[in-house]
Amino acid sequence: MNGYFMEPQNFSVNDGDGIRTVIFFAGCPLNCKWCANPESTLDFKRVSFNKKTCIGCGKCTEICPVGVNIDLNSPGQREKCISCRSCMDICPTNSRKKLVRIYSDSEILEIIKSQEIFYRYSNGGVTFSGGEATLQRDMLRILVNSLYDKAVDMALETSGYFDFDEVKDILTKLDLIFVDIKHMDEKKHELYTGKGNKKILENIKKMNELDVPIVVRIPVIDSVNSDEDNIKKTAVFVKENIKNPKIELLPYHNFAEEKYECLGLAKMSDNFKRPSNEFLSHLKMIIKNEGAESVSYI
Amino acid sequence: MLTKRIEDARQNYINSKPAISYERARIWTESHKKTEGESIPVRRAKAFKDTCQQLEVKIFDGEIIVGAVGEFRKCGILTPEFSWTWVDREMDNFDKRVQDPYVMTDEQRDYVRKNVFPYWKGKSLEESFLARLPEDSAKVAVDTGIVDNDSKWRQAVGEITPDYQDVLFKNGFGGIIAQAKKHMETLNEISADNLKKKEFYQSVILTSEGIISLAKRYSQKASELADSETNEDRKSELLKIAKICAKVPENPPSTFHEAIQFVWFTQLGGILSENPLALNVGRFDQFMYPYYKSDIEHNIMKKEQIQELIEVLWLKLSEWVWTISANTAEFFAGYNQFQNLTIGGKTRDGKDAVNELSYMALEATEKVMTHQPGLSVRIHQDCPKEFLDAVTHLVSKGTGFPAIHSDQAGYQMLINAGYEPEDARDWNNCGCVVPHFRKTGEWTSAVNINITAALEFALNKGVNRINGKKMGLDEADPRTFTSYEEVEKAFYRQFDNLIKHSVISTLVAQNLHREMVPRPFLSSCIENCLNEGVDLVDAGAKYNLGPVLTGIGLAVTANSLAAIKKLVYEEKCTDIETLIDAIDADWEGYDELRQKALNVPKYGNDINYVDDIAVNMANHYYKESHKYKDINGNNFNTAFMGISNYLPAGKVVGATPCGRKAREPLSEGVSPFAGTDASTPLAAMRSAARLNQDVHSGGTLLNLRLNEDLVRTKRGQSNLGSMIQAFFALGAFHVQFNTVSTETLLDAQKHPENYKDLLVRVAGYSTQFVNLSRSMQDAIIARNAHDKF
Repeated sequence: MNGYFMEPQNFSVNDGDGIRTVIFFAGCPLNCKWCANPESTLDFKRVSFNKKTCIGCGKCTEICPVGVNIDLNSPGQREKCISCRSCMDICPTNSRKKLVRIYSDSEILEIIKSQEIFYRYSNGGVTFSGGEATLQRDMLRILVNSLYDKAVDMALETSGYFDFDEVKDILTKLDLIFVDIKHMDEKKHELYTGKGNKKILENIKKMNELDVPIVVRIPVIDSVNSDEDNIKKTAVFVKENIKNPKIELLPYHNFAEEKYECLGLAKMSDNFKRPSNEFLSHLKMIIKNEGAESVSYI
Repeated sequence: MLTKRIEDARQNYINSKPAISYERARIWTESHKKTEGESIPVRRAKAFKDTCQQLEVKIFDGEIIVGAVGEFRKCGILTPEFSWTWVDREMDNFDKRVQDPYVMTDEQRDYVRKNVFPYWKGKSLEESFLARLPEDSAKVAVDTGIVDNDSKWRQAVGEITPDYQDVLFKNGFGGIIAQAKKHMETLNEISADNLKKKEFYQSVILTSEGIISLAKRYSQKASELADSETNEDRKSELLKIAKICAKVPENPPSTFHEAIQFVWFTQLGGILSENPLALNVGRFDQFMYPYYKSDIEHNIMKKEQIQELIEVLWLKLSEWVWTISANTAEFFAGYNQFQNLTIGGKTRDGKDAVNELSYMALEATEKVMTHQPGLSVRIHQDCPKEFLDAVTHLVSKGTGFPAIHSDQAGYQMLINAGYEPEDARDWNNCGCVVPHFRKTGEWTSAVNINITAALEFALNKGVNRINGKKMGLDEADPRTFTSYEEVEKAFYRQFDNLIKHSVISTLVAQNLHREMVPRPFLSSCIENCLNEGVDLVDAGAKYNLGPVLTGIGLAVTANSLAAIKKLVYEEKCTDIETLIDAIDADWEGYDELRQKALNVPKYGNDINYVDDIAVNMANHYYKESHKYKDINGNNFNTAFMGISNYLPAGKVVGATPCGRKAREPLSEGVSPFAGTDASTPLAAMRSAARLNQDVHSGGTLLNLRLNEDLVRTKRGQSNLGSMIQAFFALGAFHVQFNTVSTETLLDAQKHPENYKDLLVRVAGYSTQFVNLSRSMQDAIIARNAHDKF
């Protein structure tokens, strides 16, 4: 079976215990304005162009059937591009790339196999991320079943936005679930992510019945959701609905800036800011005061 | 917290330039003038004894371990019997040279030119070597960067681990004298062999008397200083020194302080005898532990006091400087003496060997941040988690220390070399990454072979692209090669030829060492030499292993072969003519082809396509080298060690098919080419572990740069520990890490005054960043920093 993925990342150490491989599934039902993997919500065929590594040889323009310039992100070019990808094969520096690729389940499993020794020594494993992994649930099911039989530790990073009954069998085989609560306010959640939070909060309650440890993650962004009230409400919800209530705060970063540029996307809002460390400590205190545990994988 | 004594000494160490003392050379020369005609071992032993009796006795401020190689605290000495011509040629520029400058005054230069060098004209090891080396070997083996063994004919061998357990602490040098005398009495039968043995014992008695007398002079000096000392604390310290030096190294030590002073006197004796490379301390935490335990139990010393003594030893080991030529300094950059000190591992009977001293040694390096000793740890699969944590904690400090070794791989290397299991379990590290032992004689760094040059000769009709000289074998025009197999065959032919010349130059050097520079002092530290009456140069040790040939440029060469294979013969996107033209032009005007070459899979990314080429090359290297025997009938050994050799070796090689430009550094040890291990350190580890490391008993070296963020937290350090264990489970021998950020290194280049104590891993050893030449610094910055989370 084939699926759409971004490049798997070995040697990941912040997405669960130990040394892990993160498998990024392409595609997402949400559309968060700060998304760090924007390629996941676009046309998978979209070609990215990295100006920094380009040597300007012009090979791409020679082969392009629709006359796109070297700088794919200069005005008017994106509109012309038909994503035929012929420039990618000819580019000597890999400056024209696809960020989303088709992998078969066995290709993914092969990548994981080469890393197993590092999982064993570090209590690490595989983390399914995205995009939203459950969106390609058949592929996810194949991978999870196969790795379950190999006793490889598995974690999932999910938006929580899925049909619970469709993926329940998958979730029960996991060792850890990270699920985001991006905002407790239904309206704001919809404003920033394109979807309301009702389904997500309901799913979290259901996941609590599965006997799989859960960590609720909040991408903490100043001007969006870092206010004391929102954090407090989240903590209250987690405490009330999860057996071992754990929250990890993930302060916002703009590492994806270059990706936005390569994909020819408008820059992320300058209003999104990383909260200060002092403020983050303050938020952790709030979480603790509500009876939830503040955890970290850094 | 450092004590004031340590901090003062440390400040002196980081702020003062090493100065040259000619005192040892002066006394050595005067002694030789008086002993013309006597046997060589005896002459050398007498020169040693004279040095011990005449060298100025210097106790520096606050010292509690004493013994100086010369009149300066940070000091290098001269050994004209090995080579004086390079000193004569280079000393006017000592303070100006780029790598490892020294301070030397005009008066000093005048003196040695008038009174020391003339005596050695025609008598030095270097001159004999150059006179004897066959011309066709000399063409590739003398100051070329292609086959380089100058440290074995301009310098002494070193590469010895004194045996504290079975010889020195057991007998003291007084006991060694008694043993030698006893042995001599049994040599009644008249034979050439016995005469030689008698000479050996005579020389050992002389050197032992020498080192004892040096210690006694220190004892006396300390007493004198105590008499005039007004500070009561210092006075009692001096009296204690006087007492200790009266006892050791003549007699076995009974306290930690006596034992550690004994260790330094042994180092000092080794230094004065030959200015050695890699005079290893050995398994410090093992042979010192009984004294530690007894001191603590009997309340003789507190743990903090012992910690201070360890730190004092670290400084003493760092204050003497290995005086070397500009050429050697390129290969062994950073004032490095390679005094390796090993901790952890297993005991002789296979139990975990970690003890309090293991931790205290790690702490000492973290606190004093000296570039010596070369701190190595042995990690076995069941090693205590606390110890692994302490190791990765030190890694996180960014000093490059410790060098981390697989206990099992080291053991296996020595078993493959014919060791008994108990001895193999008792291994210590030599120099940078060579598994070694206190009963072993081995030239662990005999030759550096430039593997990439062999590829250049294969692709350029035997001619060196940089200097235009014919240095390889005749070769067909590369433009006529019609298959990858032809390219590969030509490469291996040239490679074998370089191995051959390496062997020849080593054999010539070995013969000369045997004739000219026997080593009575260091032989007296080796059990079997004493028992059998045979010097180290005559293979007197229990284990005599063949010399080690170190290959440089494994990754570059494998990458280059992969590029030719893929671009020319598989994908046929270029032809061999064009590729050769591109290399001839140093890629100028061939940007596109160069990009294609850069995109061909590179060693260090866990890609079989290119890793297999590297594995084949390493296997071939072992088999071909192992075919040859040294002067003692032992097979040559192989290594992929680091040192800083990949820089000078790169300067003499033109552009390479992998996309590397002319004169750029090659690759070190089994490390990927700088910047090309673009995936993860785990991939680099998997590539390196493929190389059947356990046959390369001269050691293998993997150097990785990690972003400091990765190891900032305890959790990050734990993950690093797991990574290391997994790497060793794959069969690898060694890994070490630089964890300083690129920003820090760039800032240190700009403001060296703020970073005088910044240690970085060069290759196989750490040294102060600001003491490296600009090109060496750039090479370190160029290493790929793995920072992915």
